[in-house]
Amino acid sequence: MALLEIRGLHVSYGQIEAIHGVDMDVDAGKITVIIGSNGAGKTTILNAVSGMVKHTGTISLNGAALPAHSHKVVSAGIVQVPEGRRIFAGLSVEENLRLGAYLNRSAKEVRALLDKQYELFPRLKERRHQDAGTLSGGEQQMCAICRGLMAKPKVLLLDEPSLGLAPIIVSEVFETIQRIRDDGITVMLVEQNAKKSLSICDYAYVIENGNLVNAGSGQDLLNNADIASAYLGVRGE
Amino acid sequence: MSLQLIVNGISLGAVYALIAVGFALVFSILKFSNFAHGGMISAAAYIAYFFYSAFENPPSLWTTLIFTAIVSLLIALLLDTLCYRRIRKNNSPNIYYFVASITFAILIEQILNVFFGKMSYGFPPMFEKTSMQFFSASFSTMDLVVLVISLVLLAVLMLLINKTKIGLAIRAVAIDGRTGRLMGINSGFIILLTFALAGFLAGVSGTLLGIKYSVYPALGSSMMVKGFIASVIGGLGSLSGAIIAAILLGVIEMVLVYYLGSSITPALLFGIMLLFLFLRPQGISGKFAQDKV
Repeated sequence: MALLEIRGLHVSYGQIEAIHGVDMDVDAGKITVIIGSNGAGKTTILNAVSGMVKHTGTISLNGAALPAHSHKVVSAGIVQVPEGRRIFAGLSVEENLRLGAYLNRSAKEVRALLDKQYELFPRLKERRHQDAGTLSGGEQQMCAICRGLMAKPKVLLLDEPSLGLAPIIVSEVFETIQRIRDDGITVMLVEQNAKKSLSICDYAYVIENGNLVNAGSGQDLLNNADIASAYLGVRGE
Repeated sequence: MSLQLIVNGISLGAVYALIAVGFALVFSILKFSNFAHGGMISAAAYIAYFFYSAFENPPSLWTTLIFTAIVSLLIALLLDTLCYRRIRKNNSPNIYYFVASITFAILIEQILNVFFGKMSYGFPPMFEKTSMQFFSASFSTMDLVVLVISLVLLAVLMLLINKTKIGLAIRAVAIDGRTGRLMGINSGFIILLTFALAGFLAGVSGTLLGIKYSVYPALGSSMMVKGFIASVIGGLGSLSGAIIAAILLGVIEMVLVYYLGSSITPALLFGIMLLFLFLRPQGISGKFAQDKV
């Protein structure tokens, strides 16, 4: 049984249905990626898991249905790092990180988690008292990922973490994602950068217009001619 | 300018600061100007007066303050449950909040007018010594007590907002409520807590204003205007900006009243606000410049 199971997921915005019945499995300790073009519904799937949009169908973690309220989903162990980083500008870097551990009542454990993030990204430690809104795009993305890790998630949902970043930073972000997986945290990744995400993932789903159109291991999809022409910028013969 | 004038100004400004902060708290979370705060202040002044005069041996100022503050807190929660919560649930535009809050303020003022409008009520003197001498100047005991209570309450509030975990959650929801939810913050609870805090502040400021002046239906709306000016000058939604602006406003008002009289002063205060907004539209703190109701 997969750690996170999505069955028959439908999501509507008003009259318009955005997700038309999607099934997905996210295996423990793996990186599962969702690729697809703009507006295909990738973010909507993550938001349904996070309890940020109303949906029908079942989403279960370890066989137990997820709660409907977003804050309870976080306490169940599923944490989302949203698209566009969504750093709290006006709060310091450390305050941002502490908010990630909002549900943790042990001050000692929060301190230890903070130290762990600072060890991972010394830049954040240097800037811990600085307004997080003044960080560069790459630093903000690291801050957002660390903020997610502060919650000690079982599953980390990453929405377009490479968006708007310089190529060298993008590589760093993808290395970080692999390191998170190696630490034993299950990762569900939504990306437009199909080539990079397929090359690091263990399993991938392809979404088009709210429907699941393809699935397979990252390598299989990289070798698939249809995928290559649609998402990898490789012209088919 | 005497020391006395300055101290009285600060004392008045500190009460304005209580109002402005109650106003700014709600603005920062829900991004609308909660004019119902004025109605709450009037209601609080009456609650305090009738509570105080209901006993043969009048209760202490502290008992009156705490009782009124708690009742106001409950009224604020009731108001949120009855009106604002539905607006949130339906994702209605902010103008609905605005209309609802003004309606509530007018409703309270008119109800008070119908029942108690014929006369104004005044608290009897609460202290045996009505004035104190310091540095060859004489201060009203009540003004000093008001000053101390307001400053202590403001200090506690700032500590709560800036140094505690729940305060951090309030600030996070104020900046970005959606992302706050992704952190596991129950934003509905934070909004309720903010209304409770604002209601508590309205209770304290209503009681203090009722004692300082007299109790009449338009007390809240007239004072609300000052709190509103302070929170606009401070930068809507910024607590520290609102406090600084409110205390400045109190001192300026006292000085103007002393030298020019009380009829021209309100007009001049609005003039100052307009001039200030012309020179520095983002307010003292410079935050939340975009997104005013």
